[in-house]
Amino acid sequence: MNASGTLGYGSEIEPLWTVDTLGAYVSKGLSLLPHHGNPPPRLWEEASALINSVGLQNIGVKRFFEEKFPLFEQRNTPVIVNFFGFTEEDYVRCAEAIGAHSLIVALEINLSCPNIKAGGICLGKEAEAVFRVVRKVKEATPLPLVAKLTPEVTDIVGIARAAFEAGADGINVLNTFPAAAVDIESKALALRGGLSGPFLKPLALRSVADISRSIPIPVIGTGGIMDHRDALSFLMAGAAAVQVGTATFVDPFAIPRIIRGIDAFLDARRIARLDEIIGTARA
Amino acid sequence: MAGIRPGQFVMLKVPSSEVFLRRPFSVYDYRRGLLSVLYKVAGKGTAALAQGRARQRVMVLGPLGNGFTVLAGHEAIVVAGGIGIAGVSLLWSKLRGKKSLFWGCASDAEAGLVNDMISCEPYVSTMDGSLGCKGSVVDLLSQHITALKRPAQVFACGPEPMFVSLRDLLKGERIPCQVLLEERMACGLGICFGCVRKTLDEAEPYKRVCKEGPVFDLWQISL
Repeated sequence: MNASGTLGYGSEIEPLWTVDTLGAYVSKGLSLLPHHGNPPPRLWEEASALINSVGLQNIGVKRFFEEKFPLFEQRNTPVIVNFFGFTEEDYVRCAEAIGAHSLIVALEINLSCPNIKAGGICLGKEAEAVFRVVRKVKEATPLPLVAKLTPEVTDIVGIARAAFEAGADGINVLNTFPAAAVDIESKALALRGGLSGPFLKPLALRSVADISRSIPIPVIGTGGIMDHRDALSFLMAGAAAVQVGTATFVDPFAIPRIIRGIDAFLDARRIARLDEIIGTARA
Repeated sequence: MAGIRPGQFVMLKVPSSEVFLRRPFSVYDYRRGLLSVLYKVAGKGTAALAQGRARQRVMVLGPLGNGFTVLAGHEAIVVAGGIGIAGVSLLWSKLRGKKSLFWGCASDAEAGLVNDMISCEPYVSTMDGSLGCKGSVVDLLSQHITALKRPAQVFACGPEPMFVSLRDLLKGERIPCQVLLEERMACGLGICFGCVRKTLDEAEPYKRVCKEGPVFDLWQISL
């Protein structure tokens, strides 16, 4: 899968490869109403990392289903709808607005929104708030729900447990780290945003290993995956699936390349099913 | 890459492990399978690119974005500020009919870099007066604009203040003007929403420079 917000609305990548290459397309973070996002500048490059402050610009749930969803129907590609809100009520109303469809395999609730001051940042940081919003969203939708966690917490396993106890069907670890950059020419804070990229891999890997050992629902591994070796590391650490984000900006063919790499790895070792390697590194 | 339109760009993977993301460059020239970019060393990416060896392989993604639209029956006025010449050079070479090129530089040293690549005699201005007219390129254009035939259309690439002056100069007559914008990019494909520019579209103000641009209508962008 792609990580939310790193493959646009799907159609943008189609000149290079078709979206049915993916196990599932994870939508750009959607809100009930269209959201303009943050003013530029939105990007800052670091050594092997990227800080972004896109601010969840999106066309809203309604337009997504009218204008963007038909591509996934045409390609018969499963979709995980990532969504966010600024209040608990926003989350619930947004989830309610996403109707059932055979291709929508899950909703993914963004509990971080590290770029937006209101709401989001608080929700994912406290187990109690996570429990409450996940519970309310679960009551509002029949769809499976994946909770996407922020790394900006002291006890990520505790947060994952709260999501699980509230009814979440899966956990995605993790979202970007809050970060900043200084422009030394203008002596100003050039950007505050979320940090992503390969540096994140060992940090996310640790969380995946810890959470998958403690919580009995599938974990999706996300964070700094650049090649098939990274992806395999997450799977062996206990992730049932992985998401690739920033790698696609560096190489737009990263996802198909990683999929081929995993297949080749399994074939070379005569491993018939991916399941056979999941969690094997769980000490 | 048969169908490169003037104003489009490519993303280059700079052959250096120090440079994480690809870098966008306007297509300066394209003929017989040879694609050229013209750049000024401004940061880590261009510095690494400049240190590349001859015949070194560079990954190229493109052509990307929307190019310029040439209106039939309009006299073309091409305006470039400094290295902005790289964004309008291919357009200039393909324009048929009456056309004028206005190019503003910091000094004659900058202008000299591409002097022999431009097969015309452009109206040149330099900020220090070391070549051509002293002052900005828009000042220079303002001295000639009344003499240029109507209908006319302007194509421009350069720094932000140049666009502001152009807007002020052209607004009386509302001459059609397309500008090629530059912005830091991550993907170049429209998937990251990082390179946006604010426009006057109230429903959706932030447009992607890589996808909806890099050529925009001067009268649609927020300056």
